[in-house]
Amino acid sequence: MTLFLQALLSGVLIGGAYALIGIGLTIVFGVMRIINFAHGDLVMMGMYLAYFLFTIFGIDPYLSIFVVYPAMWCFGALLQKLVVNRVLDALPQNQILLTIGIGLILSNTAMLLFTSDYRILSTPYSSSSIALGGVSVSAPLLGSFLITSAVTAVLYWFLMRTDMGQAIRATAQDREAAQLMGINVRWMSVVATGIGAGLAAVAGALLAPTYYVFPQVGQPFTLKAFVVVVLGGMGSVLGATVGGILIGVTESLGAIYVSSGLKDLVVYLLFLAILVFRPSGLFGRSRA
Amino acid sequence: MQSLGPKADGGRPLFLPLSVVLLAGASLAILPRFVSNPYALHLMVLFFLSVITGSAWNLIGGYGGQYSVGHAAYFGIGAYTVLVLLQSHQVAPWWGILPALALAVAVALVVGGITFRLRGPYFVLASIAVAEIIRLTALNWKDLTNGAEGILVTDMPSLVIGGAVITRFLSKVPFYYSGLALALAVVLVSLFVERSKLGYYLQAIREDQDAASSLGIPLTRYKNIALALSAFFTAWAGALYALYVGFIDPPSGIGLDISVQIVLTAIIGGIGTVLGPPVGALVLVALSESLRSNLITDLLVKSGLVAESSKTGVFLRENLAHAHMLIYGLLVALVILFMPEGVVGALRAAARRVRRRASARGEAP
Repeated sequence: MTLFLQALLSGVLIGGAYALIGIGLTIVFGVMRIINFAHGDLVMMGMYLAYFLFTIFGIDPYLSIFVVYPAMWCFGALLQKLVVNRVLDALPQNQILLTIGIGLILSNTAMLLFTSDYRILSTPYSSSSIALGGVSVSAPLLGSFLITSAVTAVLYWFLMRTDMGQAIRATAQDREAAQLMGINVRWMSVVATGIGAGLAAVAGALLAPTYYVFPQVGQPFTLKAFVVVVLGGMGSVLGATVGGILIGVTESLGAIYVSSGLKDLVVYLLFLAILVFRPSGLFGRSRA
Repeated sequence: MQSLGPKADGGRPLFLPLSVVLLAGASLAILPRFVSNPYALHLMVLFFLSVITGSAWNLIGGYGGQYSVGHAAYFGIGAYTVLVLLQSHQVAPWWGILPALALAVAVALVVGGITFRLRGPYFVLASIAVAEIIRLTALNWKDLTNGAEGILVTDMPSLVIGGAVITRFLSKVPFYYSGLALALAVVLVSLFVERSKLGYYLQAIREDQDAASSLGIPLTRYKNIALALSAFFTAWAGALYALYVGFIDPPSGIGLDISVQIVLTAIIGGIGTVLGPPVGALVLVALSESLRSNLITDLLVKSGLVAESSKTGVFLRENLAHAHMLIYGLLVALVILFMPEGVVGALRAAARRVRRRASARGEAP
């Protein structure tokens, strides 16, 4: 039972980061109907930013998100304005290939600049753990989960309560109707991509103390983010939140009860099953 | 957009492209008589492999519009089946290829049956998931595949027909001819598919699935036929690659990078054309090899742009060789942004412009 609780808890904790990554992907998809295959590489960039902020300036990775988010928001917005914006009306396949290309450019540029060495961001608390009622929890994972929850709460408030958040949701619901209502949908696309990139990078910064940092670290996150988003329903922020936690738990339980090498296999099989039997996801409207 | 059916003059001509392909094949066939440089032959083998996989992907992705980003699955199945049979059961590869191809086609039919009901981005994601499932299976089924360590070919048997030794596979030449033959085969198949009912149906499906369906085209059946054909050649290329390199492990056989490279070959050349994948293969192999062999750094140094001993020079020499995927990324982004029909499409458009200008000037073409 302790083992089960332990696995469940660490699954939920890591799921928080997956949720944050997935939310970024789903907002971008919602507003522009583009699946961003470079999303994991934005997570990678967040990791490197946090790493260098820590090693050069001694900024704690949890505090670095106040630098990482605005920096990567600008990067995402710029990417949308200069590149993605040009293919909004292209074939979906071409959009996907373009973002795959962007991902290759990002990860290989990182390799050129930083070499493919594995780097470790070791903070004093990197390997410490906290006992919670008989279950021990990794301190950095718990910390990042708490911050992830706070970020998600702020995001919900932004999307639900602010004018701009409502404009983004309106654009996601019906681009043309939103435009007729006087919403600047072009600007909303820029903002949404900025938010998506910012969230991915924040997740990366929060994961940096518990992960190796290297140029190819992003790819598995891209794939996992798809699983999270499809599971929750493409474009649904609530779905991505729940989906992220579910995937974290599935992985963690799979690692214990199946085998640690096969945990990803379990996730992908689940993914295929959802695609085939319920492509609209848990919280999405049918669109397939 | 491309026309959906046969043209009024009775379909596309076959004689001219067929003779061009056969002529190109014949001249490539006598090339090893004049070129014995192993590196040149190595480049040609890479080129052939790229032509095979790109053209095979083009059958389902280019003509049918079903963008699979999981073709590494079939590549890996071909590679692994042949090497497992060779190393663990001493089955010669020319026999081992038969179960490999059968397995790839069987997997393709199962995958097609499951994923072809999905459309657009959902199909792309499903194709990636399938390839990842197969990669993780190969990684974890250690008894069969040796896991992450991969399989090394230690003993390649000689090909003996009727007591005569045809080849001992010691040089690159036998691989050159195998690659050439297979590349010719897949290009010829593309040429015939393009002019067949299958090809027209696929193009109709690509342009508008619902319209194609309402005209009575069984969508899933024709997508499945194209995918099976595509998987067949992709698996064969995988087997050839694994035997040529003499080694296979999960990332080099079934990694996402392999799938992406296969798609990019077709995209950069131009999808839905016979000529596209070979042109894409030429561009990609030339560019990535010139990076890998530091040709670009050498050029920069020789032209005086970068000093050999300067920091930049040393940095480029040490790192540019590893970044050939960067070129893939840049190329695909540029192609999608500025010539979405690929190199072949852009050349055709340029040719049309020149012809129109010529006829406008009264010099009838």
